[in-house]
Amino acid sequence: MFRLSWNGFRERWSLFIGAIVTVCLGVALVQSSLVLLLAAVTGDAPRGSSAIEIMTFDESTTVAITVLSMTLALSAFLAVFVISSTFAFTVAQRQRDLALLRLVGGSRSQVRRLLTGEAVLLGLTGTVIGIPLGVALTSFQERLLARLDLSPSGFDPATPVWVFGASVGVGVGLALAGVLMAARRAARVQPLAALRSTGAARRSMTAGRWFVGIVALAGAGALVLLSPKGGASGGQAMAPCASICGAIALAMLAPVLVSPIAALLLLPFRGVLGRLASANVRDSVRRNASTAAPLIVLVGLVVGQASALSSFASSAKDELRAGTSADLVLESTRPLTLDVSQVQGVRSASTEIDVPIALTLGSGEDRTTESGRLLVVDPTAYAVAHPRAGSLDKLQSQTVAAGPGALGMSPGDTVSVRIGDQRLGKLPVVAKATQTIGGGAALLAPAGLVPTSVLAEAHSRTFVSLEAGADRAKVSAALADHGSVMSIERWLDDSSSEDTKTSTNILLVILGLGAAYALIGVVNAVAIGAAARAHEFACARATGLTRAHVVRTALLESVSVTAAAVMLGLVAASTSWVAVMTTTAEVTGTGALSLPWDIIAGLVGVVVALTTVTSVITSRNATRQAPVALLAARE
Amino acid sequence: MTTTLTQTAAAISMRDIHRTYGRGSAEVRAVDGVDIDFPRGSWTAVMGPSGSGKSTLLHIAAGLEHADSGRVFLGDSDITSSSDRQLTALRRSRIGFVFQSFNLVGSLTAEQNVSLPLRLAGRRPSRADVKAALSSVGLADRGRHRPRELSGGQQQRVAIARALVTGPEVLFADEPTGALDTTSAHSVLDLLRATVDAGQTIVMVTHDPAAAARADSTVFLRDGRVVDHLAGASAGALAARLVQLEA
Ligand SMILES: Nc1ncnc2c1ncn2[C@@H]1O[C@H](COP(=O)(O)OP(=O)(O)O)[C@@H](O)[C@H]1O
Ligand SMILES: [Mg+2]
Repeated sequence: MFRLSWNGFRERWSLFIGAIVTVCLGVALVQSSLVLLLAAVTGDAPRGSSAIEIMTFDESTTVAITVLSMTLALSAFLAVFVISSTFAFTVAQRQRDLALLRLVGGSRSQVRRLLTGEAVLLGLTGTVIGIPLGVALTSFQERLLARLDLSPSGFDPATPVWVFGASVGVGVGLALAGVLMAARRAARVQPLAALRSTGAARRSMTAGRWFVGIVALAGAGALVLLSPKGGASGGQAMAPCASICGAIALAMLAPVLVSPIAALLLLPFRGVLGRLASANVRDSVRRNASTAAPLIVLVGLVVGQASALSSFASSAKDELRAGTSADLVLESTRPLTLDVSQVQGVRSASTEIDVPIALTLGSGEDRTTESGRLLVVDPTAYAVAHPRAGSLDKLQSQTVAAGPGALGMSPGDTVSVRIGDQRLGKLPVVAKATQTIGGGAALLAPAGLVPTSVLAEAHSRTFVSLEAGADRAKVSAALADHGSVMSIERWLDDSSSEDTKTSTNILLVILGLGAAYALIGVVNAVAIGAAARAHEFACARATGLTRAHVVRTALLESVSVTAAAVMLGLVAASTSWVAVMTTTAEVTGTGALSLPWDIIAGLVGVVVALTTVTSVITSRNATRQAPVALLAARE
Repeated sequence: MTTTLTQTAAAISMRDIHRTYGRGSAEVRAVDGVDIDFPRGSWTAVMGPSGSGKSTLLHIAAGLEHADSGRVFLGDSDITSSSDRQLTALRRSRIGFVFQSFNLVGSLTAEQNVSLPLRLAGRRPSRADVKAALSSVGLADRGRHRPRELSGGQQQRVAIARALVTGPEVLFADEPTGALDTTSAHSVLDLLRATVDAGQTIVMVTHDPAAAARADSTVFLRDGRVVDHLAGASAGALAARLVQLEA
């Protein structure tokens, strides 16, 4: 059996190269994300750091861990998805060979074993190339994280040797998982299928596909309905997931959706080539689904995530603008030695000292600790500067209030706060500021709670409201010695563009490599599909089509399938659009949807260009031989 | 039908076989009530116009396809409702196939193709056995060649060697000379004749009167029914009968 696998492998390497490439990249991506995640989890702040430095390190570690675990999860998801669809397609392309094996006495379990043997070979080959590639990718990702300010200072990932072992497991495991379903289906092939020249299976929708597709569709629907009920943070977590579920659902249902849509798109092409392309598209359900599935996932994922991020960012900006009442902002990196409210011309001022903390909620089994921020505020002044935050009257010494970015905390709870090695003990939560889309501090605390030694190193921000008719320039000048002073408009712009930059960077790291990977999956499917059509192309040419006709027909098919897939991807993404609108409407009172047109246009452009080029190259390749040679050589 | 067969001379017995494809206006009665015995140690040709149900009948006889109704016996065993596992076992030891389009595994050499059924059956064929099988079809020196390096006639002879290597009770052939030139066809027919003379049972579907004339007897089908049975007819007589049926 192994020998047959090996022979099949040598013979059909062009069909398998796609499978190897996907395994190899999947292994590299997963290994690299794993190594970086390990480094982030086990990293410690440099010795001799101050309390605030330790907390700042922990905070950026948390960001890095979050980003890296999402990258790892996404890599694993895409790897499973791309590898299994590539394998399934590879197996489907060989239906005739497998039927032949059954015809000469092969049993179902032998067909399964043959395919499993192949998968192990492919998995090992992919892994062997994938491991060194993963090492290279680690240093690339590490530089990317550092460059985008998403990793803690002094972040220095080393690859433990056992990770290589894990990669072998991942590679072979992914290949096996990928082939399992396909092998079960392939083993059911009837021996007679070997005698039918049109080997490809007609039925591409399986009960499993229907099941997963419908469950994922229901999931997307549920997320759309639940997002606005999830509050600021819950809604923001759920809205982007809707498009992930939507994309999975549509990718699973691709066999019933893609061909009809693509055929519809070909309706305006009424020439003979257009009709031929349309007939081919309707006939090759399986091939279309294999090309479209990774595209649907890619477009749905990228557009859905990017839209959610940019919409929430723009909603947060509007919300911040509406929720802040001030004329000037003073940012300072030193403790303020000045009572700003006493300055001539100032009506009120809220000075807020920003302290990174570790926050522990709950007790016993349910205890969770996370890093966050605490603002030391004057409750009355804070309520004036942030009129939408609500009343903080109950906030007195030795109590805290849940901040605008608090998670799962309400008045009546008790929290423990740690700053570096300083513990502030158990503190009752007595008030709760209104939750915001933009997030912010987890806790608000009155002066006197945080030791002055800690405050000495903390940054502060003061929102200043002027008296009517006060001289803006004069006040600014009076404050200038204590930090940088800017108008509220300027500060709003700066802080929201800073937020947007961070979220774009995060998106880039999480989705960039994954997107590249999914694109390779698409190229793969187009290439495998065209390579397997050499005989069909030869028949078409023998019927009177020129080589250029064949290439053009294949291109029409490929572009229409790509367009159908992009449309379905956008439909998947639109579930997030709805969820974002209803969530922002619920939280801020105004529904916001800001679509990242540059990303959408860029992605669609790349996808169409790539499938076009791949289709032309592969169909030209498949028609290089004279048709007679191909038609005669039927084994 | 629950007829118990006592007549063991037949290698294959088919009783009241029906097979319909499609529904409604697209309904095609490919086989429409066929009763037939293929005698052991004899070569039976099945002729008929295109679409008369020859291939369907052969597939049902070989257990590649299920009939809608009727019973099929291979020797003493009723294979009408055999499971996939049982049919696999049949293909490994009691049945061999040859088709118009050779159907060799392209990635394997001639030797490997021939030993494939034995390996699939879990047997380890000796080199000598495989060599013998190949030389019996006149291809002793082509063992290391891949199918695409062989002519059509040679490929078909490899396919015959592969079908016979398990020592099957019946060899089924569907248009085995359909894709061959006259010379190659001749050598394939000579080869089949020789195996029948050595005791092999063959059921062969063909369109070619010259091929059918080499068989011991010929069954004619039209519209899924047996319409005639000739023994020892010449190619000319067979051709005339076929033209009559096609009219
Ligand atoms: N799988 C199938 N599905 C539908 N119709 C079929 C199928 N196989 C054969 N037929 C029809 O059954 C009839 C007999 O076919 P076949 O047995 O292949 O004829 P022959 O081999 O004598 O040319 C034909 O009309 C053919 O179109
Ligand atoms: Mg036929």
